[in-house]
Amino acid sequence: MSFQSNAQSSPGDFFELLGRSGYRWQTRVDPQTQNDFAVTQGTTVLAFHFKDGVIVAGDRRATAGNSIMYEHCDKVIPIDDYSLMAIAGVPATAFEMARILTHNFEFFRRSQMQSMSGEGKIRTLSKLLKENVGMAIQGLGAVSPIFATYDLQSKKPAIHFYDMLGADFQIRTHTATGSGSPTIRGILEHEDLWGEKPLAERSESNAVTLAVRLLQTAAQFDSATGKARPDDEIFPTVAIITEEGYRFMDDKELTDICKTSLRR
Amino acid sequence: MFEEPYRWMEAVSNRHSYVQERLKLGQPVFSVPFDEGVLIVGFAPQRGKIFEIYDRIALGGVGHPADVERLRMTLLEMAHLEGFNRSAQDVTLARLLQFGIAPALKQNFEEIQRAPYIIRLLLVELDRECNPTFFRINYDGHWETFKDGTVIAGKEKIMDWIQKEIRALPFATFTLDKALEEVCRLWVESKKQEDGDGDDDKDFPKTLKEAFDQWYLEGALLSGKVERRAIYRTLTEEEIGKLKSSVG
Repeated sequence: MSFQSNAQSSPGDFFELLGRSGYRWQTRVDPQTQNDFAVTQGTTVLAFHFKDGVIVAGDRRATAGNSIMYEHCDKVIPIDDYSLMAIAGVPATAFEMARILTHNFEFFRRSQMQSMSGEGKIRTLSKLLKENVGMAIQGLGAVSPIFATYDLQSKKPAIHFYDMLGADFQIRTHTATGSGSPTIRGILEHEDLWGEKPLAERSESNAVTLAVRLLQTAAQFDSATGKARPDDEIFPTVAIITEEGYRFMDDKELTDICKTSLRR
Repeated sequence: MFEEPYRWMEAVSNRHSYVQERLKLGQPVFSVPFDEGVLIVGFAPQRGKIFEIYDRIALGGVGHPADVERLRMTLLEMAHLEGFNRSAQDVTLARLLQFGIAPALKQNFEEIQRAPYIIRLLLVELDRECNPTFFRINYDGHWETFKDGTVIAGKEKIMDWIQKEIRALPFATFTLDKALEEVCRLWVESKKQEDGDGDDDKDFPKTLKEAFDQWYLEGALLSGKVERRAIYRTLTEEEIGKLKSSVG
């Protein structure tokens, strides 16, 4: 039960606490083990602003090379009451990142008795990605996430896209990542510029319909993106973040949405 | 000193007297069940008596603020490391107490060269079936478990009196508003029990009006109705305002 004050420590930093307990996040770059194989990113996840907040959605398929391994993978992960992370890349690394972030934000909030700022949350994920570069360039742990949150201080939702080195880019309208994303990024841009309304002015139901259709389109062209299969109770993951926090659509809602939105 | 057992026992006994004397002015922190969860509440001249520890665990403390803070951080670190390394379901209050702070507190108290912790803590947990468990732990590592609610206070006489009253009331059937009103009533009654004991707390509020005017009412609850993982929330200004108008 020792508590030492240290000028170099950062109060409320769970990552530092993990370090003190012997945990180590990823290894350093080992040039000898660099190789040329491409990292599989069998995924489509997307996020865009709509009238009341942001929507984050993803397909459910996990692949290894040409094999479909799993059709119920959750790629949109709750981090705290106001934040979600959508993942593309190596699941093991991405899930662990999400677990660290969850504990980091909650540990900060409870120990410092205030929520971490939106900017602080965004930088925390940057830091994890930066420290993961070694694994990423060795072809073992590349992750390309989308982070969406509602900033309680500015009272605005925010979407951030990250590259594998940890650089973050604030997204004003829409973003998508994963192997199926090239197919739908053009559609999102088209919808935003020439659709019936800009994305940021659309209603929640309109935004959900668009997200489900985009994922279905991505699955049409990308074998590593899973289709919605209501008959088998396989639905995409769809969540929204508003000033009240995040909310995931449940299976019943998604059954109804798929029934109407996927009809030709 | 160590070659004579009597000297060691005398030193430990002196430490008990010293800590109890320092704790005397500690104001009661109540924790009681209500129909949707658990309430934890207390009046104090400054905030900093009630805290969230983990998803379903809350803490109340009386004593030296720096000691309460040190134990709060220890509990937070233990809970979050366990939740990260295993699962949130493995973070239970019984484990945190029994294998965490209780042995450490006892050891610290009996190592007579070290400064003792001047604290009394109340810990409460609401499990997934909405059953509450209340714990009270002393500065020497001794802890007790309660089913119907509990209280900590600087004076043992007051603590025992309130504990008896809590047991006699069906708090688990009360709404939040009713539970808050009853706790306030117990607080006023407990002040009457103190009368004439000659302690140096003459300037402390004796009525609810004085308490609301001069001190803070700090309160939080663990709600069994919340679907999120973390079920702790502080009382809102509206809830405190409503209480003030109903009992003031």
